[in-house]
Amino acid sequence: MSGQSRTQEWASRPERGSTSAIKLATWIALRLGRRVAHVFLYPVCLYFLLSSPTAIRASRGYLTRALGHRPRLLEIYRHFLTFGSCVLDRVYLLNEQETWFDISVEGEELVRQIDADGGGCLLFGGHFGNFEAARIVGRRYRDVPVSLLMYEANARKIRAALAAINPKLEAEVIGLGRLDSLILVAERLRSGNFVGVLADRNIDGRDMRRLPFLGAPAAFPQGPFRVAMMLQRPVVMMAGVYKGRGRYEVRFELLAPARDGRPADPQAWLDEIMRRYVSRLEALCREEPYNWFNFYDFWA
Amino acid sequence: MPSSASQTSAEAELASLIVSTLNLEAPAASIDPELPLYKEGLGLDSIDMLEISLVVAQRYGVKLRSDDADNASIFKSLRSLTDYIQTHVAS
Repeated sequence: MSGQSRTQEWASRPERGSTSAIKLATWIALRLGRRVAHVFLYPVCLYFLLSSPTAIRASRGYLTRALGHRPRLLEIYRHFLTFGSCVLDRVYLLNEQETWFDISVEGEELVRQIDADGGGCLLFGGHFGNFEAARIVGRRYRDVPVSLLMYEANARKIRAALAAINPKLEAEVIGLGRLDSLILVAERLRSGNFVGVLADRNIDGRDMRRLPFLGAPAAFPQGPFRVAMMLQRPVVMMAGVYKGRGRYEVRFELLAPARDGRPADPQAWLDEIMRRYVSRLEALCREEPYNWFNFYDFWA
Repeated sequence: MPSSASQTSAEAELASLIVSTLNLEAPAASIDPELPLYKEGLGLDSIDMLEISLVVAQRYGVKLRSDDADNASIFKSLRSLTDYIQTHVAS
């Protein structure tokens, strides 16, 4: 890996599965269909449960906060299964096989209005639920793609996987490894695109702020919010909440309206929008605790 | 001709614009015009680069584009960026 000096723990961990494995798994998943493929999640997640003490520790730490009690092993298993379901569903969602799913939308009017106004917006999500379910809603309105901004190492893997799954989506992934990555984001917003950002993890290795999250301070990156402040487009909270059995509930909520010029007090603006984002994320975690997919000690 | 370590007046102007925009601690005049801006060197990140592209567009009317294949050399240093702006500002 080149030029990445400050990798975080999650980024430096080797990813399970290679591109060819992704290709094979995708092919099998599409052949079997969603219902049959989901049956295989039970043994697969059981295997991960037995072989990943680090992920168990992370899940237990998180669920203790979100559920308000120390989770039983069965609850941790359910956490893994929810994650597995969302990962598997991505294959179908990326192939635009919407028939497997029942996707409802809350806050559709907000996105429709932004779309009608013609400018792009930033969709702030997290490693929570299925971002892909939310993206598919974006694609329903318009031919303009919903781009997704992500950490470069992951972007490379996902681009390789997308090349196998649905090549026309490859260009929608913007990696953060280049000096002009965010200039590209600015251009896409200007031309009316929606750009998704997973704003719960660090994007450039610095500038973290600790905010109260599920009862204790956790570090959130200020970077995505600084970018939002510079670009002055609306910031919309987006989550594709997995409700089980192929049901997704996509939520859109306004975090910050479009601006004309910078805020008079930039730090106060950043603090306020970050506080809104984190409190929305916290509410989602309390409501749908198994949808949280940061399997590392988030409060470290 | 200035030596490699001393700024031309155009470089000094851009340096002070960058320092004030990014709230850098280093005094503008102390920035070596040949020092890399991104990562090692001045230690700027992609967010800083976005900020620079916005302020350059505002001040000089010069657009820095993400699809320019030469971005690595355009943004290489204060000197290269100043050169780029000067050749594009009039046209």
